[in-house]
Amino acid sequence: MDGCRSDPSPVLRHGTHAVIVITYDPAMPAPLPAPDFDPGAAFPEVKRLRAALTGADWPAVEQLFDGRDATTVSHLVNHASDLPEIEDFLRSVVARQPGEALPATLLAACLVVTGWKIRTDKRANQVSREQFDQFHAYLRQAEQILIDVTARHPDYVTAWDWRLTTAMGLGMGQSEARRRYDRLARHEPHHLPGQQSLLQKLCPKWGGSWDAAHTFARECMNAAPEGGHHGVLVVTAHLEQALESDTPRQAGEYLLSMPVWQGIQEAARRSVWHPGFRHGWGWLGVRGTFAMAFGLMGDHKAAAAQFSALGNLGSDAMFGYLGDATEQFQKFRAEAYAKGGAR
Amino acid sequence: MIQQFEVDGVPTLLAPTDGPMQAALSFRVGTADETLARSGITHLLEHLALAPIGLADYHFNGATGPAVTRFQLQGSEQDIADFLAAVCRNLHDLPVQRFDLEKEILRTEWGSRSPGVMDAVPLWRHGARDHGLASYPEFGLSMLKPDDLRAWASRYFTRENAVLWIAGAQVPAGLRLPLPGGTRHPVPTPSSALPSTPAYFTSGSRAVALDAVVRRDTAAGVFAEVLERELFRSLRQEGGLSYTATAVYEPRDHEYASLRALADALPEKQWAVLGGFADVLAKLNVGRIEQSDLDAHVGKVSDALGSAAVHAARLPSFAFNLLVGAPNLSLEEYRAELKQVTVADLHRVAEEVMSSALLMVPEGCRADWAGFAEAPTRSTDALPGTSYTSIDGNGELRFGPDGVSYLGPGGPLSVPYIETAALLAWPDGARQVIGLDGIGMRIEPTLFQLHPDTVRLLDDRIPARLRVDMPARAPEAIPVPAPVQPVAKPPLRPYGWLAVVGLVLSGLATVGVGGFALLMTLGAFVTEEADGFIWGLVVFSWILTAIVVLPIFLIRRHHRRSR
Repeated sequence: MDGCRSDPSPVLRHGTHAVIVITYDPAMPAPLPAPDFDPGAAFPEVKRLRAALTGADWPAVEQLFDGRDATTVSHLVNHASDLPEIEDFLRSVVARQPGEALPATLLAACLVVTGWKIRTDKRANQVSREQFDQFHAYLRQAEQILIDVTARHPDYVTAWDWRLTTAMGLGMGQSEARRRYDRLARHEPHHLPGQQSLLQKLCPKWGGSWDAAHTFARECMNAAPEGGHHGVLVVTAHLEQALESDTPRQAGEYLLSMPVWQGIQEAARRSVWHPGFRHGWGWLGVRGTFAMAFGLMGDHKAAAAQFSALGNLGSDAMFGYLGDATEQFQKFRAEAYAKGGAR
Repeated sequence: MIQQFEVDGVPTLLAPTDGPMQAALSFRVGTADETLARSGITHLLEHLALAPIGLADYHFNGATGPAVTRFQLQGSEQDIADFLAAVCRNLHDLPVQRFDLEKEILRTEWGSRSPGVMDAVPLWRHGARDHGLASYPEFGLSMLKPDDLRAWASRYFTRENAVLWIAGAQVPAGLRLPLPGGTRHPVPTPSSALPSTPAYFTSGSRAVALDAVVRRDTAAGVFAEVLERELFRSLRQEGGLSYTATAVYEPRDHEYASLRALADALPEKQWAVLGGFADVLAKLNVGRIEQSDLDAHVGKVSDALGSAAVHAARLPSFAFNLLVGAPNLSLEEYRAELKQVTVADLHRVAEEVMSSALLMVPEGCRADWAGFAEAPTRSTDALPGTSYTSIDGNGELRFGPDGVSYLGPGGPLSVPYIETAALLAWPDGARQVIGLDGIGMRIEPTLFQLHPDTVRLLDDRIPARLRVDMPARAPEAIPVPAPVQPVAKPPLRPYGWLAVVGLVLSGLATVGVGGFALLMTLGAFVTEEADGFIWGLVVFSWILTAIVVLPIFLIRRHHRRSR
């Protein structure tokens, strides 16, 4: 599991995507050792944070967040949000320290993830009325906590980021999602986790349009400094559209159509192929997403390079759209190494 | 300075003005004193009082509000003396010959008025009674008789229940206010139709609006200005989401005031305006109030208080306070209070606003996510009674000993007889029952198979004073049940060539084999020598017939299913 919001939590694995069956060359080499999907393997802070929260050690939690930038805070909160049974502990901290941004945001994030687990990531017509009621009740609780956080701390970017997710789950209009993002961007114009959240809302499955999604992804990438992670937005938007296709062939054809192919190449040049690309928060998801796109495009050499840079680390990235994320990651990796050389 | 004295027993306020002389005679009566079934009585009386003056060349008007009715004029001393005396006389000596004409004018006025964005707010907060009646049409006009108006005039339009203010140098010479004696009537206690607040309701207008109830004080007035600044900054300047963003503080009675705010929205920005509006309220509610907003407002008001026109400008609110029994502050007292308002005071007002808030949101939006409860659009229970199903089968009416209910999609609508605000009755038998909580239902006899006596029994249950006879409807305005549409089966598509070949071959084979089987059977019965072999052949030929006929059934079944 990696740091991008679109990867790990069930929050964004609820897409109404088509499941695409990938076929493989029977003459594959011996299976590779299983990659390590634990985000703690790449980021020791995540391991420490999860231990501190599970152990109800608030001073340790606070210390981990102390002085961190908004991107780090967002990633850390994201990695804590799916921990089971820490809600009561967080409630007690919120009660002790009313008006503080961090405990309230952590609590709200947990409520969102709990709600989304109840909703499941199935299509809306496969989710029962009771599930939806509970899901919405959790999201409303989270939203009201977050309203309070952003009212007191309008520059607390991570709370705005989670308010993008609640806006999506609570069925608010596109204009409200955009307003929330604008409030976030006022303080952090290149905040990738927030951009990934808004990108989801801009997709047709959440009431947006492909045009809006691609435009936003391109604008964010072009505005951000080269060598950063923001190219992943362009690839994510294209994968979202490609995976709406009924067959892998159509998905591949879409990704290989000239403007899309060019867009992905440019995104790679500005991020994973750029000499300035750094393995900071979220890098596993960025490389994983590019690897998946290259794999679907049949560019196994490019895919293999990304898998190779990931080393023994795994990332859910968008592999969950194709079935079990762990299995799909390994299948793509095996195929890339088999057909694209280097391992 | 505002001077206070009496003219013919009417408390009178006088303040100098630079401009032309103005005066207003106000009475503590308005729509909040009425009932739905007789609503419009104050407005009709106000019109009748002004009707005989209509042709004179005065700048005058009358206004009927929820708690105060006002007659106002700008003109010379003589004009004012004549006008006020005429109003007082007309109120108690009604020009009955204009009675029906003025009713028509009022109906036209209602029909041609431009509806205000927040017109519906009172009924959602208060229901179909007292302060909620401002939302409703003047249903009672058709039922009002001259005696009703005379009684209304002698109850409310008295010198004890009036206040006069004059902006001018002195009281006009010879001014007389010939009003009968009576008593001062307090403002009716507002009812509530909201089980809990903060609450919200959905409206068809493209705006987000807030209605809150706050205790009257100087800080609450300042808060309205601070709220307006916040809304303007957040929704217009920063977000570019709204054109209009306003907030108004308006005293309601001696103790409480309404605080109302409004922000308009383009259709595609409605959610963002709602979100931004809710965030502004949240910001103020947690006490993040800009000292600079407070200072700017206090500075602006202090400047205005220094102008020569300030005393005349304060006359209407002074008069209102006298009428509703609220204290009036001198200019110095007000200035001192204004200076003492702190951000903490405004925070206290913000919390009051939030706890009493009623939010109006555009269609398709909700506000439950921000902690606002949905205002009721249905009754909690259905009342027991005799049940009649609608002809289209989608609803059920119940007439019971205690009230009437409608059960349809979305939940029950119930009006207990003792909580009826009005019964609208059409000559064709249609009825509309409106409950005091604002929930009601239309009973259309053409849409239900009602027992002929049902409507009469309903009429008997509801007191005559709540009945409103409505004018006859055009035949096309009377609803008819939707005819039951026969569900047409889609036509069968023609058989394909393969099916045709199959049918023909199978048919021929059936005729051949079946004919053989028939002949064999007949033969076996008529021949005495029929042995086991012959009978075996008979059975075999029938089995064969069944086999060759089978394709016909299979092809036909497949064809029907694939229609």
